[in-house]
Amino acid sequence: VTMPLAVVGVSHATAPVEIRERLAFGPAEAERALVALRKECGVNEAVLLSTCNRTEVYLFPARGQRSIDAVERMLAPKAGAIEGHLRDYLFHEWGDSAVHHLFQVSSGLDSMVTGEAEIQGQVREAYRRAAELPVAPPMAGPVLNRLFQMALSVGGRVRSETSIGEGSASVASVAVELARKIFGSLKGKRVLILGAGTTGELIVSALAREGVEGVVVANRTYDRAVDLARRHRGLAVPFDRIREAIPTVDIVLCSTAAPHPVLTRSIVRESFSEPRRHPLLIIDIAVPRDVDPAVGDEPEVFLYNVDDLRKIVDEHVRVREGALPDAQHIIRTHSEEFQAWYASLEVVPVIREMRRQAVAVREAELERLFRGMTHLDPRDRERVEEFAQRLQNKLLHDPTAQLRKGMASGGGAELVEAVRFLYGIRDAAADATPEQAPHVDLEEEENGE
Amino acid sequence: VIHLAALLLYLGAFVLWVSLLLKGARGRMGRAAAVVTGLAVLVHGAALLDFWRTHAELPLVGPGAALSTLGFVGGLALLVVLPMKEAARVALALLPFVMILQGVALGLGIEPSPFALDFQGTGFVLHVSFAFLGYQGLALAFAAGTLYLIQHHELKEKRFGRFFVFIPPLATLERIGRFGLWVGFVSLPLALGLGWAWTVQNRGSLEFADPKVLWAIMSWFVFLGVFLARRGRGSTEYRSALAAVVGFAVIICTYLALRVTASGSGLFL
Repeated sequence: VTMPLAVVGVSHATAPVEIRERLAFGPAEAERALVALRKECGVNEAVLLSTCNRTEVYLFPARGQRSIDAVERMLAPKAGAIEGHLRDYLFHEWGDSAVHHLFQVSSGLDSMVTGEAEIQGQVREAYRRAAELPVAPPMAGPVLNRLFQMALSVGGRVRSETSIGEGSASVASVAVELARKIFGSLKGKRVLILGAGTTGELIVSALAREGVEGVVVANRTYDRAVDLARRHRGLAVPFDRIREAIPTVDIVLCSTAAPHPVLTRSIVRESFSEPRRHPLLIIDIAVPRDVDPAVGDEPEVFLYNVDDLRKIVDEHVRVREGALPDAQHIIRTHSEEFQAWYASLEVVPVIREMRRQAVAVREAELERLFRGMTHLDPRDRERVEEFAQRLQNKLLHDPTAQLRKGMASGGGAELVEAVRFLYGIRDAAADATPEQAPHVDLEEEENGE
Repeated sequence: VIHLAALLLYLGAFVLWVSLLLKGARGRMGRAAAVVTGLAVLVHGAALLDFWRTHAELPLVGPGAALSTLGFVGGLALLVVLPMKEAARVALALLPFVMILQGVALGLGIEPSPFALDFQGTGFVLHVSFAFLGYQGLALAFAAGTLYLIQHHELKEKRFGRFFVFIPPLATLERIGRFGLWVGFVSLPLALGLGWAWTVQNRGSLEFADPKVLWAIMSWFVFLGVFLARRGRGSTEYRSALAAVVGFAVIICTYLALRVTASGSGLFL
C-alpha cells in the first residue's frame, strides 16, 4: 500500500542557521500557515514542526510535486532574499521514509546533538497545536493523529529503553553535571565569573537553571561585568577584588582572554582567610588557560579545563552512539506497525461495501417475508427483524476480522481482491483509496448496523 | 530458612547494585536493586520476629542470633537511605558488611542461647539495641566515607567512568556520613551507660577486663577521633570520610583480635 504521506522542510542537515532562523514559525504563525496550506494544496491533514534546528511540514494526503511546491510557496515569504533557491535547502521524504523520519526526529536521532530530549516536547507541541486548531475536518486527522501519537510513544521508548539520552552532550551541561557531582543540589550555591564571554554566560545560564543563585562577575572592563551581572541579577566586582570574592563562592568560572593565568595557586591560597572546609569547583574554559594547573593540587579544589569538559562530552556522545542500533530497532518496529495499521485502512471501503450489500439483501428479504405474513403483529415483526440483523452481523463478523488480520500481517492485497471477486464489489466506493476516505473509523464500521 | 532467604536476597540486591555500577548507572536496574534491598531487610526482620515468637526470647544473646540482629540494624540503615534516590547507592558499600554478618550468623547457627536467662530485662535490651545502633551508625559512615573517597579520587583524577556516574555527589555522601556518626556517637555512650548499670545491678561490679567492655570503650574513642577529624582547619569533609573508614577498620580489626585472643570471649557477640 503506497502511503501518500510526506514531510517537506529544512533541517540542520540541509540548511545553515541563517536560513533556518528565517524559516522559524511562532505558534500563531504556524496555525495560520497550516490553514493556508490546506486551502492551497487541498491536504486533509497537516502538522508543522518548527524548532531552532528544523522547520518541517507533515502532509496527508500528499500529492507529489504539487505538495512540495505548496510548502515552498508557504516558506518563500519568510525566507526572503537568500543565496540560491529555497528549494536547494528543502528536503522531502515520502511514505515509509516520512514515517521513519518523524520517528527519528521524536527520538532525538536526527537532532544536532544526538539524543537531546527537548525535541520530544517540541513534537508534542506541534501535534497539539494542529490537533486543537478549530477547523473542520481536524488538521491532525486520523492518519497524522495516529502517526504523531506513535512518534511520541517511540520517542519515549527510545529514551527509556536505550542510553541515547544518557549524560550531557554540551560543555555547559557537563559543567552542571560536574557541579552536581560535587555539591548535589545547586540550590543556593554561588558562582564567580571571571570574564564576560558568551560560553561563560551559557554555562552560568545552565547553572542558574539548576538553582545557582549568587552570581558575582569580575571583568577587566567593569562595564561589561555590570551588564552581565544585571542579566543574571548578580553583583559586579572590580577584577582586582577577586581574592575577596573567591571565599564567598562555591564555583569559579574562568573565561577571560588573558594571555597568562589570572588565577594562581598562591592567589587561591591567599584568598582563603582560613583553609577551605568545603570543595571549590573551578571551571576554566579559557584558551590560553586562566588557571594555573597547580591550583588543582589544592586538596579541596576541583579544577577542570575545556579539554576535560570536552573529554566528558566525547564520552557521552560515544555512549549515545553505542545506543543507535537499539534505537533504530525500536524505530523500525514501530514504522512497520504504522505501515500495517495504514494498510488495514485499505480494507475499510471493502468492508463497508460488504455490509451495504448484506443490509440490502436483509431488507429486501424481510420485505418479501412480511408481504406474505401480514398476520404478524408489530412485536413479532420486530423480533424477526432483530433476528435477521443478528444473523447478518454474525455471518459478517469472521470474514471482517480475518480480513483485517490479513491486512495487518501484510498479506492483505490478495484477500481484498478475493473479497471483491466473491462479493462482486467493483463500484466506486470500494475502489476508493484511504486518502479519499480518510476519516473512516474502523471501530464504528465494525459496530455499525 | 527465612534467615537464609534474607541472605540470598541481600546477595541478589548486591548483584543488582554491582550490575548498575557496571552499566554506568544506566537503565532501570536501580529501582529493582532498591526494591530487592528493601525486601531483603523486611524478610530479615521477619526472620528475627519468627525467632522471637518461636523461642520466646529476643535474638540478642549468643553469637549467631546477636550477629544476625546486628546485621538487621545495618539493614535498617539501608532502609533510611533507600528512598533518597542516588543516595540509595550507598547500599553497594554497606550490603557486604550486612551480608558478612548474616553469613557468619548462619554459619554459627541462629539458635537460642543457654545464657539467655542471665541476660534479660529492659535495661539489657536497650543496652544491646543502642550498641548495635552505634556500630551500625559507624558502618553507615564507613560506607558513605568509602564512596566519598572513591568519588573524590575520580573527580581529582578527572576519571569520568562508571564510578563517577554511579557514586552519589560528595555533598550527599558527606550528609549520610555525618548522620551515621551522630547516630553512633549518641547511641554508643547510652549503650555503655546502660550496660554498666545493668552489670552493676545484676553482677555487682563492672569488669573492665571484659573484652567487650574494652572494645566498647575503644570504639567510643574511635568515634571521638572521627568527630575530631571533622573539626579544625582544612579539608574537613575529606578528612572526616577518611577517619570514618579508618576508624571502622580499626574497630573491626580490634574485635577480631579480641575475639581470637581474649579469654572469656565466648559470650562476646
